[in-house]
Amino acid sequence: MRLYDRKKILMENILFFAALATILVYAFAKLRFELHMMQLNSYRNERYFKWLKTNLVITTRVLEAVTLAITGLLILVAGAAVASIAIILLFALLAYLQFIKKQKKPVVFTKRAQRLFGLTFILSVIAGGVYYLLTGKALCTLWISGLVLLLSFIFIAIANTLIAPVEKAINNSFYNDAKKILSARPDLIIIGITGSYGKTSTKHFLHRMLSEKYNVLMTPGSYNTTMGVIRTIREQLQATHEVFIVEMGAKQPNDIKEICDLVNPQIGILTAVGEQHLETFKSIQNVQKTKFELIDALPSGGLAVLNEDYEFIANRPVNDRETARYSSDNEKADYYLKDISYSARGSAFSVYNKGEKLASFDTKLVGSYNLSNILAGYIVARHLEVPDSSVAFAIKKLEPVQHRLEVKVHSNGVTVIDDAFNSNPVGSKMALEVLKAIEGQRKIIITPGMIELGEKQEYYNTLLGEQIAESCDYAILVGRNITLPIMAGLKNKNYPDEKIYVAQNFKDAVNHLNGFTRAGDVLLYENDLPDTYEL
Amino acid sequence: MKIKVGVIFGGRSVEHEISVISAQQAIAAFDKNNYDITPIYITKTGKWYTGDALLVVDNYRNTDSLLAQCTEIYLTPSYGDFTINAVQSSIWKSRELGKIDVAFPIIHGTNGEDGSLQGLLELKGIPYVGCDVLSSAIGMDKIMMKMVLKESKLPVVDYTWFTDRSWHMDKEPIIAEINKIGFPVIVKPSNLGSSVGVSKAADEAALIDAVDLAGRFSSRILVERMVVDLKEINCSVLGDAANQAASVCEEPLGAGDILSYKDKYVSNTKGGSSKGMTSTKRQIPANIPKEQTMLIQDLAKETFRILSCSGVSRIDFLVDKKDNKVYVNEINTIPGSLSFYLWDATDKNFSQLLKTLIDVALKRQRERDNLVVSYGENIFSMSGAGGSKSGKA
Repeated sequence: MRLYDRKKILMENILFFAALATILVYAFAKLRFELHMMQLNSYRNERYFKWLKTNLVITTRVLEAVTLAITGLLILVAGAAVASIAIILLFALLAYLQFIKKQKKPVVFTKRAQRLFGLTFILSVIAGGVYYLLTGKALCTLWISGLVLLLSFIFIAIANTLIAPVEKAINNSFYNDAKKILSARPDLIIIGITGSYGKTSTKHFLHRMLSEKYNVLMTPGSYNTTMGVIRTIREQLQATHEVFIVEMGAKQPNDIKEICDLVNPQIGILTAVGEQHLETFKSIQNVQKTKFELIDALPSGGLAVLNEDYEFIANRPVNDRETARYSSDNEKADYYLKDISYSARGSAFSVYNKGEKLASFDTKLVGSYNLSNILAGYIVARHLEVPDSSVAFAIKKLEPVQHRLEVKVHSNGVTVIDDAFNSNPVGSKMALEVLKAIEGQRKIIITPGMIELGEKQEYYNTLLGEQIAESCDYAILVGRNITLPIMAGLKNKNYPDEKIYVAQNFKDAVNHLNGFTRAGDVLLYENDLPDTYEL
Repeated sequence: MKIKVGVIFGGRSVEHEISVISAQQAIAAFDKNNYDITPIYITKTGKWYTGDALLVVDNYRNTDSLLAQCTEIYLTPSYGDFTINAVQSSIWKSRELGKIDVAFPIIHGTNGEDGSLQGLLELKGIPYVGCDVLSSAIGMDKIMMKMVLKESKLPVVDYTWFTDRSWHMDKEPIIAEINKIGFPVIVKPSNLGSSVGVSKAADEAALIDAVDLAGRFSSRILVERMVVDLKEINCSVLGDAANQAASVCEEPLGAGDILSYKDKYVSNTKGGSSKGMTSTKRQIPANIPKEQTMLIQDLAKETFRILSCSGVSRIDFLVDKKDNKVYVNEINTIPGSLSFYLWDATDKNFSQLLKTLIDVALKRQRERDNLVVSYGENIFSMSGAGGSKSGKA
């Protein structure tokens, strides 16, 4: 009898520890999942809660709740051994389901992620430990641990709040480190670029032009926040760099000032002030104020390069700084473009300064916005004494982005302007301007119109129809129903029926074209809907 | 004891995939009774890996999962150090993964066929297959190669060359020079294989586009007279500067005027994995008169000798059908599929070809070891040499 008891206790102990191990394994899997979600929400509790609103009831949590119900019941009515076995089996299954999940963008255990994971784990263990100390019930503690894991979304949020001061201190140390690196480089020329549109293109163009004379570092891809700039400085800035181009993005007021306080730019380029991110900025005046933080941060005598084509740049006075106001057509600006011509090889244009011609350039790029961004780059390159002949070579070598106003001549002599990735009214208008101005026989557009423009979609498509009527010799509309507003626009301008072809789908449009085009024609592909889109 | 051969392939080159195929073919053909193969794969971003997963060509469809099964490695430039080292090591995994006796670069194009990799192997002092730094570099650069061959009185098509920058600064004198050669012309970037960036120009307008295209790939551009009615003949040479053998000739049957990258490597691949050079339509032996075959074989060997090549190369010729004149067009110092199909049709199967290549590599190393590279004595410590002792010269 006693022997049997001892055997039973030993058995139960083994089962208990196996159950504890299973729960720990599952804790790893589950907390990793929560960490992943927190990471995807940039470690911001408010974003995380917003995400939770729609993702609170998910399969994982439902299965956990069911598991807890079953095991809870078994602890109450069945023996310890049975309950332990149930815990082992069910939580092992849950863990298995977590581990086999495929992730598009898997969790990355950065140092920050490790800290948050560790703290969340410790908090969970403390919760279980406190329960055990209060009750002394081992098996129930396991069940409570399962409950903690069900509620882990709360625990990770608490951990995230608790650890915030630590993270802030660490970020501060990165900030100070970056500041120190920059202060050791008083000779470094620092150029800030911001604007609602065009800042990334301008950054690339300027980088290419300045590279003719200097070793240039620019903030890569999407690194346009303070943290991104800090990373660029700490990881990429080298002693050989002479110029640092900083792209500055803003989602709310003060964002740009924060970056400027770090890098102290001597030259600032403002490419555009427009209605972007209005939901956070509330008004275009706020956008203007935020974008001008860059210009206000320039030292006395610093160079401000301003795109005069935007009302909210032109109407803002700038004192105590050297200004270079530029425009793609306004001859009252300090620098402006003239003699623009488009061909299948791209554009040719001249830059003028107060009535005096400075230089002429060729580029593979087309469209007034591209040329305007090139002009901004040229003004800075000129200011930094890069010879015009070198700038001309750099401009010649600039490459267009695929499917964004990309001009090609096909072997059959037909010129194709590929603007398939565009989807906004401003871009469409510019593409049509290029189509109208480019050398060629017949000007033909192929388009399904624009989508995802909300309540203004119909208005903009009708406007597009009117613009097509003024610039095209032939229009192929892809899809009958979707292009009705374009058709209305064409009719508003009395565009003749025989110059319109309504294609069933893209394939039909291409078939129609094949029997129709001849050398010298110019085709514009404007927007390109994915195959799945219902026409 | 088997000879350990490190086959180095992949690389930062537009011909990366072709290299993978050529290397797989060679690795499969090696006589495993005599050789132990270590695959060494250089990714498109220039990282080095080894591992058995590299031996299965289908694995290359998904690079990420392939590399996850492999070990990242590095070779040091230290002389005499032939070890392969793991980048990451721990208490369980030692840094040293093993040694190789001979290195076998099978990389086409930049950073592998151009002398750069050969430079590293040279610094290490390890025997390696194929051309050395000088002949690799000259063979890779179409302009330099033409200059050397022309100076040596070998027949090459009229050409001129210039830099991308000088073209954009002032086209006129260059166009005048090209007019002297006469249209139509072929425009090529100087340092790429596989017809990448190559196009023909019938007039000045087309020339501008052709130079633009070539300028994307190289800052040095070659323009040569186009042989309009032509036959292409290729011949492989095996050996070194002292002894060379020429293979039978082949005639590649391309679709257009220029054998494009697609013709060369992607034809006949519908539904199957790419087979490299062996899948291109070709006629072996080429249907040309015996005297012409012998002339081409002699020119091929002479080209190989003048460029001081080693290992196996393929020399491509142009035959003008109008006057039957033969021109040396270019040399591939690491040819696609190592030209094994030409040797197979001559007198060696692939396995025998590989054995010859290893033997030639070892022979070159022996000859190198006989040359004086540095003196054993330390001049600074020799008495009476002045310098250090007195502090005054």
